[in-house]
Amino acid sequence: MQAVKDVSFTLPKGAVLTILGPSGCGKTTLLRMIAGFDAPTSGEIFIQGQAVSSVPPHRRSIGMVFQKLALFPHMTAAENIAYPLKMRRFDPASIPDLVDRYLNIVQLAGMGDRRIHELSGGQQQRVAIARALSFSPDLLLLDEPLSALDKKLREEMQLEFRRIQQELAVTTINVTHDQREALVMSDEIIVMSDGVIQQADDPVRLYRQPSNRFVASFIGLTSLLRGTLVRIQGPDVTVRVGAGELHGRTAADGLSAGRPVESAIRAEQVRILGPDDPTGHFDNALQAVVVQQIFEGDRMVYQVRCPELGDALIFAFDHDPADRKRYRKNDTIQIGWNSRDLLVYEDSESRHL
Amino acid sequence: MTGSRSKTAVLWSVVWFNLITLSLPTIIILGASFTSGNIVQFPPDGFSLKWYGKLWLLEDFKAAFLRTVYVSVICTLISIPSGTLAAIALARYRIRFRTALQVYLLLPFTIPLVVSGLGMMIIFGEIRILGQLWPVGVALCVINLPFMIWAVSATVNALDPDLENAAANCGAPPLQAFLTVTLPAVMPGVITGALLMFILAFNEFLVSLFLTDARIVTLPVSIYNSIRSVITPDLAAVSVVYIVIAFVAVWLLDRLVGLELFLRSK
Repeated sequence: MQAVKDVSFTLPKGAVLTILGPSGCGKTTLLRMIAGFDAPTSGEIFIQGQAVSSVPPHRRSIGMVFQKLALFPHMTAAENIAYPLKMRRFDPASIPDLVDRYLNIVQLAGMGDRRIHELSGGQQQRVAIARALSFSPDLLLLDEPLSALDKKLREEMQLEFRRIQQELAVTTINVTHDQREALVMSDEIIVMSDGVIQQADDPVRLYRQPSNRFVASFIGLTSLLRGTLVRIQGPDVTVRVGAGELHGRTAADGLSAGRPVESAIRAEQVRILGPDDPTGHFDNALQAVVVQQIFEGDRMVYQVRCPELGDALIFAFDHDPADRKRYRKNDTIQIGWNSRDLLVYEDSESRHL
Repeated sequence: MTGSRSKTAVLWSVVWFNLITLSLPTIIILGASFTSGNIVQFPPDGFSLKWYGKLWLLEDFKAAFLRTVYVSVICTLISIPSGTLAAIALARYRIRFRTALQVYLLLPFTIPLVVSGLGMMIIFGEIRILGQLWPVGVALCVINLPFMIWAVSATVNALDPDLENAAANCGAPPLQAFLTVTLPAVMPGVITGALLMFILAFNEFLVSLFLTDARIVTLPVSIYNSIRSVITPDLAAVSVVYIVIAFVAVWLLDRLVGLELFLRSK
């Protein structure tokens, strides 16, 4: 079985790279190869210009925070943090100071004597981060360590980690399936699927300009519309979905009229208008019927059906639900968006036919 | 409300029934050992410690007791390295014939002790070690080893599978990682298993019956031999010695591992 097929990237010093992908996309395997637990069948990994494939894991200068933390249960928090220092033969006199320093960095000052099972989930997380950093590794690896925490604590730890990372300027590779975590924590994101890199970009570009349908649908709440290309002129395209024609843009090469395409529109780009509101300034305006409404506190999410587009389902956010009119199920409304927000891709499934 | 109350009542009566049936034999034997009369009876006929005094003077029982300790120590000492390593290997590493090995190591569970005892008697006779004391310890280790493996496996399975990788990541070479991380982390299981092995060996009767003769008889066999002649309250006193040892083991377990951990790991 091939978990990772063709992956190549370079990481600048001091940056945070997140490998983002659904479970089973090969991201953890990639991380384990970098740490040295698994060997790649072909290819080479360089750390600071040195090929490391023949270097056993304990000789690599890599700190890792494991998925289930893998803290040593028979040691205290301080002993856990001191362990890599002892194993890497730091001057014994300097170890207590270093342990104190890292306990301070992760805000666990005075808790060094606690046993691991006496610490809360978030505190264990901090010990694991301190253990991975205490020996100043060249590279830090994070294997979804935050995934087991509840949402609030997870978001807290994401910011906390970002603070620690910037304070120490340690080069980091993070692996996650959580798109929010990737966007919050990273300087650079690689989206992986089926062992292949789908896109590598900075968070903003990745979000605004997804380079294919997988990336577009994996990040953000995106509606996909299947159709045929009608006209193409540079990046501007017109597609037919059901009985309707939509205007969008594309970055794909080699598209020509008549080709099956998929168009992606993000929920926050879709505006909701009452049945009689003027729609003049939208490049695309459609009649739609509300299928369901989901209240998420800070926003209302509508799922609407467009008869004109062959009953395609489209998600739309309505921010500030307190102020705006709320639409009920089966209400007829209008939706609209601008052509620059409708991204058109070659239909990936029909390509294989 | 009434429903939950009657449920509580049923549960408590089950608990008490279990407690009483489990502890009644122990209470009776405890009481009988303090009798001042000359026969085993309950309630005891008066109170005295004379049977304990008499037990102390019985050289046969004292020798049998020491032999049993010796045998149990041998059994425990062999089981600690073999059981621990087997359990770690079976639970952690993708070794060849893993299932077959697992079945093989747990085989003693399924074979009646009479069969094991007879088999070992023949083998020990063949290689001319029958009649010595140390082979009894080896035999007891063989038949009880599944308990040791079981106790250690329970701890190993509860460990994070990445624990050794974490040690390597911290810079520990493989042997160092095993000694400083894996072994200490499975220690609660090793202690549990070792105490279990000691108690089981201390109590073991059937296999010992096959492997011992009059010169090297162990305590359970010695008790059995005495019952066949005449039952005096000193036997009750010997049984109390057993109860005390069992309590010491539980106390040790609590001190070293924590009973909570022990009960959870099962």
